[in-house]
Amino acid sequence: MLFESPSVDRLVEAFRRLPGVGKRTAERYALHVLSAPAEEARLISDAVRNARECITTCSQCCTLTETNPCGVCANPARDHSIICVVERPSGMMAIERGGAYRGLYHVLNGALNPLEGIGPDELTVERLVRRIEAGDVNEIIVATNATAEGEATALYLSKRLAPLGVSVSRIAHGVPMGGGLELADGLTLSHALQGRTRLG
Amino acid sequence: MRLLELTCDHFRCLNNLRFEPGPGLNVIRGDNAQGKTSILEAVLYAATSKSHRTSTESDLVQRGESIFRVSARVQRDAREVQTEIAWSHGAKRIKVNGVNQTRVSDLLGKINVVIFSPEDADLVRGSASNRRTFLDMELSQLHAHYLHALQRYRHAMRQRNEVLRLPNPDGALLDPWDAQLAEHGTMLMRERRRFVDQLAPLANAAYKAIADNEEMSVVYRSDTKEDVPLIEALAAARSSDIRQRMTTHGPHRDDLEIVVDDKAARQFASQGQQKTAGLAIKLAELELMRERTGEYPILLLDDVFAELDTSRSREVLTTIPPEVQCLITTTDFALTEELVARKPRVVEVTKGELTVS
Repeated sequence: MLFESPSVDRLVEAFRRLPGVGKRTAERYALHVLSAPAEEARLISDAVRNARECITTCSQCCTLTETNPCGVCANPARDHSIICVVERPSGMMAIERGGAYRGLYHVLNGALNPLEGIGPDELTVERLVRRIEAGDVNEIIVATNATAEGEATALYLSKRLAPLGVSVSRIAHGVPMGGGLELADGLTLSHALQGRTRLG
Repeated sequence: MRLLELTCDHFRCLNNLRFEPGPGLNVIRGDNAQGKTSILEAVLYAATSKSHRTSTESDLVQRGESIFRVSARVQRDAREVQTEIAWSHGAKRIKVNGVNQTRVSDLLGKINVVIFSPEDADLVRGSASNRRTFLDMELSQLHAHYLHALQRYRHAMRQRNEVLRLPNPDGALLDPWDAQLAEHGTMLMRERRRFVDQLAPLANAAYKAIADNEEMSVVYRSDTKEDVPLIEALAAARSSDIRQRMTTHGPHRDDLEIVVDDKAARQFASQGQQKTAGLAIKLAELELMRERTGEYPILLLDDVFAELDTSRSREVLTTIPPEVQCLITTTDFALTEELVARKPRVVEVTKGELTVS
């Protein structure tokens, strides 16, 4: 470490908790915060504290929100009969950026991962079940990630939700728009071939 | 395919070594611990960046040095290809035709070699995991999608086994992993069966030729019958899997059954028969690679004559197609008579130095 200072060590350790930040980057961040004007450091710490205090989870879809229920759940113009299930708020943000989806969401807070000790109780599965039982939802779109854990979660949900009388579908996997086939990996291509659709 | 030139610096005991083998048969002769095997190991390393003797690269560097370099130049069809691997303080740099490569997969397939060494005895006499590793390595080289399926299969199995370790494993939590095991496992088993079906007749032909018409068979053995979908086998085994807290069906439990002279080779064959069977499988691989690439790979035979009688040793030499470039190490001077008839190029290795006889 650069300095014999426990408080600098603590700051570096704090930055290292962030996803994608290693030792080097954490040291860079710490140095920046310490050598920039004090105002800069206050700006960052205030922003973190403020956001943390204002933001809660939506009582309906479990996403991060400043208002409860969140803007999407509270919007009467959205289609309240469809719920798209995602692992994390970032998935919801990605679909919202696409702008084509007009239904509601449900954030699971992760995916089934026995090795990490994550089972259905660690996720918001039962809250999703209660939402379906309570309201007039008739379609569920499972948009968990295309990883082993995301696929396992999708299959688990399809069986868990089957008795509730809703239609459950999985988003398609395939080649990216505007992308040449030669850029797609073999597994994506084989999934894209399996999930082919009829023309005309 | 033909190795034109091998150069090594600080690779095991080989330094400043330049070896230009001839086409056809090459004999590398010398006493024990002079560097014969290291020459074959260097050829394998230049082709695959892997050693058959160690997975620790620091074992390969000459004592007291921190850098080694191996380079091979080969003729394939009408082209020449050169690979170079330099290892320095734990980092490896791979070049193909002078251009840096970032991935080992960009090196594989540039130079094809098949090696048979004393370590390969485990293929026949070792445990089933040796034979599964053999199948997985061969098939991963053949198709990239096999390797992907293998990695996903293993991952899904770790997850499933973790669920099985819970106090009361819930079937609903096993289903998703069963589905993934079945998807990838089915593909692994199908590819392995296809490969073994191609390999078996070629191995038998090679074995018969060497072992005076004794028969050899290679069969893929699985607890999961070929006509039973893996997903059903997993479902049927579920309660016993829960009791044993492990996954008891699937390609990770399968084996290659090798039978020679109507006996299970692993338990009942003699050492000579086991060695011949291992060699026959490697010679079959040689043929399969030629079918796939249109050219024979370079054949490396390390100490192949130990444990074989004179008649089998002679037949080994006649079984190798004359157009195959073959590098053979031997300490056995008595055998040179048999070898000489094939007009090999002979080099002597003494303390890591080559002299052409």
